[in-house]
Amino acid sequence: MAETTGWLLDVYAEEDGITLWLLTDAGQHLCLRMDFDITFYVAGDFRLLRQAWIYLKERDVRLERTVRRDLFLGERDVMAVTTPDPANIQKLFGDLQRQFPSLDYYDVDIPITLRFIAQTNTHLLGRCCVLQEGEWGQTIESLSSPWEINPTPIPLSILTLVPDCNPAIRTPKQLHVNYNQKEYSLSLQSPRPFLISLKADLQRIDPDLILTDYGDTWLFPQLIQWSKETGIELNLNRDRERHVLTRKANSYFAYGQVTYRGAQAHLFGRWHIDRKNAMSFGEYGLEGAMEQARVTGIGVQEMARKSPGAGITAMQMLTALRNNIMVPVQKQQVEGRKTLTELIRADHGGLIYQPIIGLHGNVAQIDFSSMYPAIMVKHNISPETVGKEDAPEGLIPKTLRPLLEKRLMLKNILSDLDPRDCRVNVLKARATALKWLLVVCFGYLGYKNARFGKIESHEAVTAMSRELMLQAKEVAEDMGFTVLHMYVDCLFVQQEGFCKPSDFTQLMNAIEEKTGIPIVLEGVFKWVVFLASRRDARVPVPNQYFGAFQDGTLKYRGIELRRRDTPLWVRKIQLKALEVLARANTPREFVDLVPDVKMLVEGAKRDLRNGRVPLEELVVRQRLSRTIEAYKTPSPAARAAMQLQAHGRQFAPGQSLEFLFARNATGVHAWELEEALDSGKLDAKRYYKLLDRAIQTVLTPNKAWCDLKRLF
Amino acid sequence: MGRTLITITQLLNETEANLSAFRRTLRRSDQYIFDGLFAAARRHIAAIGQAESLLPFESALLAMLLEQSKEIAVLEQKVEELIKKNSS
Repeated sequence: MAETTGWLLDVYAEEDGITLWLLTDAGQHLCLRMDFDITFYVAGDFRLLRQAWIYLKERDVRLERTVRRDLFLGERDVMAVTTPDPANIQKLFGDLQRQFPSLDYYDVDIPITLRFIAQTNTHLLGRCCVLQEGEWGQTIESLSSPWEINPTPIPLSILTLVPDCNPAIRTPKQLHVNYNQKEYSLSLQSPRPFLISLKADLQRIDPDLILTDYGDTWLFPQLIQWSKETGIELNLNRDRERHVLTRKANSYFAYGQVTYRGAQAHLFGRWHIDRKNAMSFGEYGLEGAMEQARVTGIGVQEMARKSPGAGITAMQMLTALRNNIMVPVQKQQVEGRKTLTELIRADHGGLIYQPIIGLHGNVAQIDFSSMYPAIMVKHNISPETVGKEDAPEGLIPKTLRPLLEKRLMLKNILSDLDPRDCRVNVLKARATALKWLLVVCFGYLGYKNARFGKIESHEAVTAMSRELMLQAKEVAEDMGFTVLHMYVDCLFVQQEGFCKPSDFTQLMNAIEEKTGIPIVLEGVFKWVVFLASRRDARVPVPNQYFGAFQDGTLKYRGIELRRRDTPLWVRKIQLKALEVLARANTPREFVDLVPDVKMLVEGAKRDLRNGRVPLEELVVRQRLSRTIEAYKTPSPAARAAMQLQAHGRQFAPGQSLEFLFARNATGVHAWELEEALDSGKLDAKRYYKLLDRAIQTVLTPNKAWCDLKRLF
Repeated sequence: MGRTLITITQLLNETEANLSAFRRTLRRSDQYIFDGLFAAARRHIAAIGQAESLLPFESALLAMLLEQSKEIAVLEQKVEELIKKNSS
């Protein structure tokens, strides 16, 4: 028997076990097969269970009567069904459920990687040691932990493939290939020589990861089609027995908006990530996706495309598997019965103050770090523990504790590093990836489809957060501070004569001592502006503010600059205006800089008038919220879509449209149209209006400030 | 996400909408003051929510009164300052 050590790259199901891919210390790619039995559980009425037993006896499964724990119902008598065929468990379950729909099913839809990890105590991208006989792995032992702060870096070989333009707009002519800092282009003019070159490159480089732009939606489908047409066999997988796994595109509704997700192409034995079709990839990149795969147990190519919600659900399943808790197929917990008064008491979100409108000097922003997860861990809030005194640590806190600790440690390391240190970017990406898992965990406590969700636990978290915020406010006021604003987990405080970060240390210590949740100083603003509603200058809005920290860094929330539908030109000028204002060290100096901002705006408008602004910077991006036919009065985006539809393009709700405002019949010019807009046809007035609005936002403080003085 | 009850912001918007005929009948100059009452209530949305009352608009009325009292206090202070300034 041979022993090999390396990194665990991938695990997937076969009809007679599983396939593992390892990157060995010697740089080899090791593909191993392993026997792997899968067990799921069925509970319910005994007569029905007996019938199910008889039904299953015909199949290639092992049956056993046993007792397992349901998170909410406690110990249950169950029938354990064990199959040696992980690839077909869904079919087996489907057949059974159709016959016996009223039975309760557990542990049916757990991804194979999670089962493997739970059983072997390994983790994806982790170090491990395997004993093999031929191509069959006998045992696997873990040599690392997903919670290590500095995991040994994996020497991945990455091949990047990027077309020379967006294939949705024009047909690409070249494919840029990048490997090991070597870059060259392959012509796409005729498929045959292109396929032959790409195939040779793939064989020579043998990449672990193919990183593409538009790989899911264009390149891979195109390659498969060309391969069929030319008869040149091209298998993009490292596993020769597999085809590329494709998933269809879809639109879905979440967080109040329709989102479009393109088709997907997954590989076996190596990964494919399409940077243009990966959800949060832009925010934390490959390092972040790998960190999430490491801790969640979902494969890298899956995790890059999935929401963090899928990641946290996987982590909860893993905790359940490790603690012998069965994972129900469907959520079974409904909201408990409440009286109206109880409902009024419980049904609140986080505490959101209305800030004191206007321009304020020397304001400290202090944040509770990871407040909601910290509350869940500290106060043992979990769907099965809510409302119970002295319950043992619940499933959710158990899942979150190591995650929270790891993120805190990464943050601590980051805060000690010089910002120019080469490790900063990687650590930041990993910390951000973990942050997203923590952020969504709270939402999943109350999400109607979450496996381990219960609305009461969700409410318990917000109730606790409101209490802690009020405690923090009281502590601050006792110490003589004015609380200008509070927003879910952060406070803005001010006191005459307090301006250095160290001036606020005593306050922070006092709050931390009172609440037991760690708190950090985000920074001290030289000045900060809380904005009023556009409708009524007397009404404050909670999440629209901007300010300059003492080191000159700007912070802005909710203003045009943060909105994706604002054209780049407007965003740029608004940012420049803020940079001018950031020169002010006090609110009084702020007013002196207003003429400079006005000059800046005049200059920008002159540039636009004289055609000196590149059209790209004027592109407006808006999302389609429904199908084009469903619009009664088409939005600008819908009108742009109609222009493209005339050229044969199709659109689904949730897709974004780019266009220019133009002086023509429809008022818009779709950016993707073949013929470019004559810059003389640009609707300059419309752009002036957008700019004026954005500048008004940053200059209103003067006005609102005066108004306030007048009223009080 | 997933709230059963309307939020205080929604409640104030709805109440204001219900009173639109009342507001319309007021003189323009009074309408501005009327809007100010709702603006005053909106500064205390968090507190109205925390009151957890069956009749949240009662708390909203209290918030309007509170802002009014605050304004009176500020004005009183200003009058006092003016008197002091004039007598000295």
